[in-house]
Amino acid sequence: MSIIEIRALTVKYARRKLAAINQLSLDVQQGETLLLLGPSGSGKSTLALTLNGLLPQAVGELREGQVRVVGLDTQEHSVADLAQQVGILFQDPDAQFATLKVEDEIVFGLENLGHDPSSMEARIQQVLTDVGVLALRDRPVSALSGGEKQRVALASLLAMQPEILVFDEPTANLDSMGTQQVFALLAELKSRGKHTLVLIEHKLDELMHLIDRVVVLNAQGGILADGPPRQVFDAHGPALQAMGVWMPQVAVLAHELRRRGLELPLFPITLGEAVRAFRGWVAKATPATAAPARPSQDAPALEVKNLSFAYGHVEALHDVSLNINKGDFLAIVGANGAGKTTLAKHLMGILRPPAGSIALHGEEFTSIPAKQLARRIGYVFQNPEHQFVTETVWDEVAYGLRVMHEPEDTITSKTQELLETFGLWRYAKANPFTLSYGEKRRLSVASMLALGQDVLILDEPTFGQDERNATALLSILRGLNQQGKTVIVITHDMRLVLENANRVVAMSAGKVLFDGAPGELAGMPQLLSDARLTLPPLARLSALLATEHPHLRNVLTMADYVALSH
Amino acid sequence: MQTLYQPHDSVLHRLNPLSKLLVALPQMALMLLVSEPWTPLAFAVLISLTLLTLGHVSLGRFLRLLGPLLMIVLLFTALYPFLVRQSLVDHTSLLFALGPIKLYQGGLYIALVTGLRILGLLISSLPFSITTDSADFVRALVQQARLPYRIGYSTLAAFRFIPMLQSEMSVVQAAHRVRGVDSQPGWRGRLEQLRRSAVPLLTTAIRQAERTALAMDARAFGAHSQRTYFRRMRFTGRDWAYVLVYWALGALILLGLRSLGLLGPLHVLQIL
Repeated sequence: MSIIEIRALTVKYARRKLAAINQLSLDVQQGETLLLLGPSGSGKSTLALTLNGLLPQAVGELREGQVRVVGLDTQEHSVADLAQQVGILFQDPDAQFATLKVEDEIVFGLENLGHDPSSMEARIQQVLTDVGVLALRDRPVSALSGGEKQRVALASLLAMQPEILVFDEPTANLDSMGTQQVFALLAELKSRGKHTLVLIEHKLDELMHLIDRVVVLNAQGGILADGPPRQVFDAHGPALQAMGVWMPQVAVLAHELRRRGLELPLFPITLGEAVRAFRGWVAKATPATAAPARPSQDAPALEVKNLSFAYGHVEALHDVSLNINKGDFLAIVGANGAGKTTLAKHLMGILRPPAGSIALHGEEFTSIPAKQLARRIGYVFQNPEHQFVTETVWDEVAYGLRVMHEPEDTITSKTQELLETFGLWRYAKANPFTLSYGEKRRLSVASMLALGQDVLILDEPTFGQDERNATALLSILRGLNQQGKTVIVITHDMRLVLENANRVVAMSAGKVLFDGAPGELAGMPQLLSDARLTLPPLARLSALLATEHPHLRNVLTMADYVALSH
Repeated sequence: MQTLYQPHDSVLHRLNPLSKLLVALPQMALMLLVSEPWTPLAFAVLISLTLLTLGHVSLGRFLRLLGPLLMIVLLFTALYPFLVRQSLVDHTSLLFALGPIKLYQGGLYIALVTGLRILGLLISSLPFSITTDSADFVRALVQQARLPYRIGYSTLAAFRFIPMLQSEMSVVQAAHRVRGVDSQPGWRGRLEQLRRSAVPLLTTAIRQAERTALAMDARAFGAHSQRTYFRRMRFTGRDWAYVLVYWALGALILLGLRSLGLLGPLHVLQIL
C-alpha cells in the first residue's frame, strides 16, 4: 500500500499567477527514502506542506486533486490528526521552536494533543536518546548549536510518533559540523527502518547511499523525472544541470568524463562507486601542467597586525595578523563562531579597529573617514535585504553615487552599466524586496560596486542559492577579480574555496590556523578537522584515488579533473 | 531574552510565580502612594533580606544588582530639588543659592522621598523577576489564572523574537552605514533612519513569525480547547503561607511606623 498518495494535485498561492504545483501525481511506498529535487521555486517545500495538511489548512489553496497520507485525506483530517502521521523538519532551526527549553519543546506536541502527562517522561527519554541529545534536556534552546537545534527539533517531532518524516533543507543554515550531525541522524533513522523519509536537500554526495528513489520537479511544478537515483542522474543529468538542480558531484563528473569518451559500465553516484568507476581512467591520465600561478602583486591592499577583539568577556579574535594583497581572491573559512565575520567587520570599519592594527593600501585605517571607506571597500552582507535602502532597483545602485554627490550623468551611465552587467536591467523599476533570492544577491553586489570600490568583501555569498545562481555569482566575482579587484569571501563552503580562491585563511576560536594556497590546505586533514571544515566530494574522491595514484593529490575540482589528459 | 532570571533551587524559585506576583503588586502600589521616606526604606530592607535568605542570591550579586538602581536613585535625588515647583517648598529654609538656582530643605526632602519610592518600586519587582522562569510564569498564568493557553504560548513564542530583532536591527544599521547612509541629525534624520530599518526588520519578523506559526500548527498547537501539561504548576499551602506571612509583615511595618508617628498620609495622585 502506498503510504503517500498524491492525485492530480494543483496548488496555488494567493496573489500568484502561476500554480506552485501543477497536476502532480505521486505514490510513495511505506519505508521508502525519497529525495525530492528541483530548481528553486519548483514547489518542493509546497509539496512538503501538503503532506501534513498545513496546505491548504494554514496556507495556500488546493485547487484540484487529493493528498492522502496513511490513508487519511489531508483535506478532511485536521493538522492535529495528521501531525501524528507526518512530521516536518524545517530549514530554519530557530523559527521552529515554540518554547524556550529543550524538555518543553519535546512535550509541546504531546501536550497539545492532550496526552496523559504521566506517559510523557518515558517518551522524552526515548526520543532524546534516539537523537543523541539526552544530556541537553534542561538546556535553553537558545544555548544550542545549529546541529543540536535540528536534533532537538527532530526529537520533538519523533515524540508524536509519526510514520512519515519530511526534511525540508534541514542543513541549509548549518556549518559543516552541524550538517554532519544531521546526516548521521538521517543514516540512523534509515537503518532503524521504522519511517518513510522524504528529503529535500542539496548536499547530496554524502546522502546518496541512503536514497531509494529520486523525484525531480520541473520549474512548472510538475514531475520531470522519477526513479532510482542512478537511473535519474544517469539519464537526466544534463537536463538537471541545465535547470540548475543540484546533483551529486561525482555524477556531474561522470557526465563530464563520459563526454570525453570514458565508458561507464556502472554510472557512479557515491564516492565508493566513483573510485571504482574512475580508477582505471585516472591511472593513465596525467594532470595538466599547472597554469602559472597568478603573480600576486606584492602591493598589500589590507594589512592586519596583531588584532584582538572581545565581545564583553568572550574573545572573538586573538592576535590576528594577515596581509591581503592587491588582486587576491581570498577566502576566510572556519566553523560558526570561529571569528570570520568579526574579522571582516573590522576590515569594513563596522567594528572600530584599534589604531595601528589595520592599514588600507598602506594608509592607517582609523584616519580614513567612514565615507571615504565606503568608497574604497564594498561589503556584501549575508542577507541582501539588510542592505536595501531605497524603493527601486535603479535607486538602489544609484544610491551610493548620489551619497557621494557624483554628477547626474555619471550616476545614470554607471547605474545602467552595472544593472546590465548583473542582468538586472529589466527590473530597474521593481522594488528590491520583490526580486528572487538570487536576484537580490546580485543586486546587493552591484550596489556595492557603483563607486568603483577596489576591495569587495562578501559574507557567505552562496548561502541559500541554487546551483545556477551560485555559479553565476561566482563567475561575476572571478571576472571582477581578473579586472584587478581584491575579493574577500567569508564562507564555510570548501568547494567555493578550491574552485575560486588563490589564497585561504582558516580560522578557529579567533585564531588564524592556516594562511596559504587552497590546495595546500586540502592536503592537511588534521588542520581541516581542527578548523571543523570538510572537503568537497571531488577533493575527497581524489584523496581516495591518490592512495593508488599519488599524482591525483592536487586534482581537487571539476576543472582539475576535466583538465586531466591522456 | 535578556532577563534578570537566574536558574537555581531556592524557596523563592520553587514558589508559584503568581504568589510572588501577589506579594510584589500590592507593594508596588504602596510605593506609589506613600509620601514619606520610612515606608519605602523599611520595605527595601525587608525585600533585600528576603532575596538574600529565601532567594539564594549571593551578597555580591545583590550588590551588583543594587548598584545601578542606587545610581539612578541618587542621580534623580540630586537633580529633582531643582525641578520641584518653588511655591511648594519656598516656605522651608533655604540651604543654598546661586543666582536663580535655589536649594530649599523642602525640595531636598521631596527628592529624597521620591528617590526612595522609586528604589522601593524597583526592588519590589526583584523577588519575582530574579527567581521566575518566564515559561513557568506563562504556565502559571494559563493553569491557575485561566489565561487562554493560545494567548499564553503565543506570547512565550514571541519572547524569542525580541533578541532576534535586536541583533537584526544592529546588522541592518551596520549594513546601512556601509552603504554610506548619512545619519542626519535631529528628529527628521532619526525618523528617516527608522523608516529605512523598518522595512527589512518587518520583512524578517513577518517571515519568521509565519515559519514559527507553521511549525507550531504542525505540532497540533491550538487543535483542542484544552491541553495537558507535563509540568503542572500548583498553588500550594506554601504559596499561601508565603503570601499571607508577607502581607502580615507588611501590615506590621505599617502599624509600627504609624505608632512611631512616621507614617505620612497616602496620596492617590502625586507626582513621582
